[in-house]
Amino acid sequence: MTFLLRTLSLSYVRRHIAKTLLTLLGVVVGVATFSAIRSAQGTLVKGIRSTVDRVAGKAHLQINMVGGVPEEVQERIRELPGIRATSPVIEQIVVPERSELGSLMVIGIDLLGDREMREYGFEGEDADLDDPLLFLAQPDSAVFTRDFAERAGLKAGETISVRVPTGVKRVAARGLLTPKGFSEAFGGNLMVVDVYAAQELFGRGRRFDRLDVRLTEGTTIAQGTATLEKALGPAYRVETPERRGEQMERSVNNFVAGFNVSSGFALSIGTFLIFNAFNVAVNRRRRDIGTLRALGATPRQVQALFLVEALVVGIVGGVLGCLAGAAISQGFLQMMGQTTETVYGVTTSGGVAGLPPGIALQSMALGVLASLAGAWGPALAASRISPTEAFAKGTFQARLSGKALPRIAAGVVAFGCAILLAVRPPYGGNPLILSVIALGGVGLVFLVGPLSRLLLRLLSPLLIRFVPVAGRLCSDALLGAPRRTSGTVMAMALSLTFVLGLGGYMGSMKATMVRWMDDSFTCDLFVRASANFNRPDFLFPGKLREDLLNVPGVRAVESYRGIRPMYQGHQILLGSIEIEPLLERVKNQYFQGNDESVRQGVARQGGCFVSENFYQRFKLGVGQEVELVTPTGLARFPIAAVVRDYSSDQGAVFIDRATFLRYWQDDRVDIYDVSVAGGVDAGQVRNLIRAKLAGKYPALVTTRQEFVAEIAKAIDAFYAIMRVTVFLALAVAFLGIVTSLLISVAERTREIGVLKALGAIPSQIVRSIIVEALIIALVGLVVAIPAGNLFAAFMEGAVAEFFTGWSMPHHYPWDILVQLFIALPVVSALAAWIPARQAGKLKITEAIEYE
Amino acid sequence: MLNLRDVTKSFDGKSEVTALAGINLAIGAGEMVAIMGPSGSGKSTLLNLMGGLDVPTSGQVMVAGKDLAVESEKERSLFRRSKISYIFQAYHLMPTLKVSQNVALPLHLAGVPAREIAEKIALVLRQVGLEARGSHLPDELSGGERQRAAIARALVTGAPLLLADEPTGNLDTARGEEILSLLRSIHRERGTTIVMVTHDHHAASACERLIRLRDGKVEGDSAATGGGR
Repeated sequence: MTFLLRTLSLSYVRRHIAKTLLTLLGVVVGVATFSAIRSAQGTLVKGIRSTVDRVAGKAHLQINMVGGVPEEVQERIRELPGIRATSPVIEQIVVPERSELGSLMVIGIDLLGDREMREYGFEGEDADLDDPLLFLAQPDSAVFTRDFAERAGLKAGETISVRVPTGVKRVAARGLLTPKGFSEAFGGNLMVVDVYAAQELFGRGRRFDRLDVRLTEGTTIAQGTATLEKALGPAYRVETPERRGEQMERSVNNFVAGFNVSSGFALSIGTFLIFNAFNVAVNRRRRDIGTLRALGATPRQVQALFLVEALVVGIVGGVLGCLAGAAISQGFLQMMGQTTETVYGVTTSGGVAGLPPGIALQSMALGVLASLAGAWGPALAASRISPTEAFAKGTFQARLSGKALPRIAAGVVAFGCAILLAVRPPYGGNPLILSVIALGGVGLVFLVGPLSRLLLRLLSPLLIRFVPVAGRLCSDALLGAPRRTSGTVMAMALSLTFVLGLGGYMGSMKATMVRWMDDSFTCDLFVRASANFNRPDFLFPGKLREDLLNVPGVRAVESYRGIRPMYQGHQILLGSIEIEPLLERVKNQYFQGNDESVRQGVARQGGCFVSENFYQRFKLGVGQEVELVTPTGLARFPIAAVVRDYSSDQGAVFIDRATFLRYWQDDRVDIYDVSVAGGVDAGQVRNLIRAKLAGKYPALVTTRQEFVAEIAKAIDAFYAIMRVTVFLALAVAFLGIVTSLLISVAERTREIGVLKALGAIPSQIVRSIIVEALIIALVGLVVAIPAGNLFAAFMEGAVAEFFTGWSMPHHYPWDILVQLFIALPVVSALAAWIPARQAGKLKITEAIEYE
Repeated sequence: MLNLRDVTKSFDGKSEVTALAGINLAIGAGEMVAIMGPSGSGKSTLLNLMGGLDVPTSGQVMVAGKDLAVESEKERSLFRRSKISYIFQAYHLMPTLKVSQNVALPLHLAGVPAREIAEKIALVLRQVGLEARGSHLPDELSGGERQRAAIARALVTGAPLLLADEPTGNLDTARGEEILSLLRSIHRERGTTIVMVTHDHHAASACERLIRLRDGKVEGDSAATGGGR
């Protein structure tokens, strides 16, 4: 075998460098996408956990409450049995003015009492921290890690500018931390400040983000938790830092899991390229195979030869793919990090995505598997070639084993099962997605061959009518090589299905949300303290509403506050706003109830209305109650209506602001919705509001259009990686056309020579190759249109409903289809260019002699 | 060596074609036999059946005591490896392998140790007069030399049966004569049984026995006119 590999296989590679590279590229792209996504995913999750762990220090438990933990809680628990130390914490991400230094995690802690909780490892003789009182006396005091200080060129005592909600602030480095434990959190981009200064800086009022608790020796976690829960009541969450890390991980896991589907697609398309390439290699080397068989090679030896070649392709492609994956993983990480922070409010360390050996091995194994799976059929076909068949003159095709009817039946059954599973899934989550995609994929594999043959037969007469010579040559080439044709059409159809399906899903999501925003965000101006919707940097005081109402031109102001409490294991959104004026200006789409039931039940009787996905997820609708833990105790809110709402993928509950104030006793506000009086220019009012708030509060004042555009941008960012993988899928399909046509030209060299000898001019030959590319793309697209539609419907239906509970109206991606109809002919013609030129330039004498 | 009983071979297509219809034939060990007949008479099909490259539709193909008609694909391959060697009109040398590598191919397939392979190659290349051409590619050889290389590859396993399909068909008279005399000397010196399919009367006259085929049947079986010269 080694001899055969060293001689026969290697020489084939040497003679067909371009084709070999194209085959390799199929594996490389698939493995690179997979490894980059996995590596970025791993780094992201590790970063979340590591930051939580390192910041937690020696804390055994952490106390949280929706909206923040009031200061007095620390006093209440300090003397409890089993509690050794407590320490308040505020966490916030800020960006230095020199943005190239990366985001900084600000940790606000009580320097006088925190040494019990975390080891700081202050260094340098000039560190003022020998006297914490001096540190506290200077409000611009901060401590940085040595690593960050070195990168920023910052020495102890020097200042650096950072953007905080209230503007740009200069902070002085009063000390440096050694890179150990705590100071390695968030990749070392850490800034430690006094917790009370942080309260002021980030509008926390008299609250902390959490309290860290260290237990006395001999007190178990369970005992400590029980003591604290008993003392604090159900409004407070007492949990270990590990559990908090796990929860954060869980909330981003669904988001990152979606990318596995994308990389799976890239790998399957790569598999079809390999199938194609090996199929062709078998055809081209049939005489060699015949000779080997005549000399005594067994069928298994022949099969093994091709499989070992596939193994080598898989390994080499896998290694190159991993290298490429390592190179692009940082980009993926940045995209994912931004999205998790914007969408889920989960902060990551912004670490460096390397390629851990585990992921490298996993990716390599998948590359090898994809390569072996792609080569399996052609290798089997090679082993079944009889020497007499191999030596026969004329065109040879490794035949499709089996008959068409059983294949069609198997395809229909697999596809039918996929549809049934998608419509009535017995389970959900990734198993649902994977099983539907796998079954749908298998169905497509079985059906594409017969379907593409049927389509080609139907197209043939048309082609011959419009482009007689090129059309006949092209349809002969495509119909005469069914394996090659179906392999290429398969790669094309799969990638287009992927593009149309995901495009449809993304389009549907965006169109639905834009429509919802048009109906819901109807005020003229939004006054926000923070650009981040889910993790506000700063909250306004409630009294600001009066100030805003006094601004000339302002007709009405509503105060919106959103908190994210846990409800039956899900972090839902609890939104509060003045309901009555809201009802005057928004157009809610009701599934249950109506404006009147909301006015009565929510505004006047202190009930709530819920989003459709809350209703779907928790099976709670009108006539039932939502039970929530509030700082004043357990409260029940009767449901007055169910509305279409896309504020949270976990479900949303809305109550009147008065109800919120009564139960949560927290008057801070996230966003003020401002409506201007008729005939008044919103731009002028915006300027007046800006002027009024300048120097007092951080304020982003945006018009309705800007606000909607900003959210649309956030949705786009969410799908950024999906778009990258869609592009990769198209690139792989493009490679498929190039490979297939190069092979087609090589296989028909003699035929082309004869045609030229009979008078065919080069332009006719070139045209026939370009027409061949166009037809492959067209047939792939025709197959992909219904398949992509089903895929989109599945994503919008079962998948979206499982993960978010949202029902999205089906939206066929006509825009993408039109783009494909325009782009595909251009791309296909480009893909055909090199093979077509090669065919056009063939010398008659050489071509006729070609064997 | 070879015993064919009631061998028929049909090919399925749009209509069934019978290539061989009830062939009965016996070829003894050490014979040198030519098979002649017009195009489509079934010569190559018969040779393929004798070499186990194909199986008959019915009948028995006994080669060295083994019925190839009933053996599996794998068994036939293994049998061919040790008992049968082939020479083709189009040589079927691997274009990317050097002459010595081409010759070594069947030995590698059989798992013969490398040192033994080197010795055997040197010996057969000397025998066919190609000792100086071992490191050349087939493209760098003349037609006659290529056929010599193919003969060397056939000889290297020491198989007792050599089947030749138009071995001189692609060669001019002088080169053809060289090949025939090489085959005769192999037959003489090694006692190899040679069955040669040919169109060429001159080539057939180099054999001891001539079998004529027409329409898939044996039309005549006699001593060749040249009597093996």
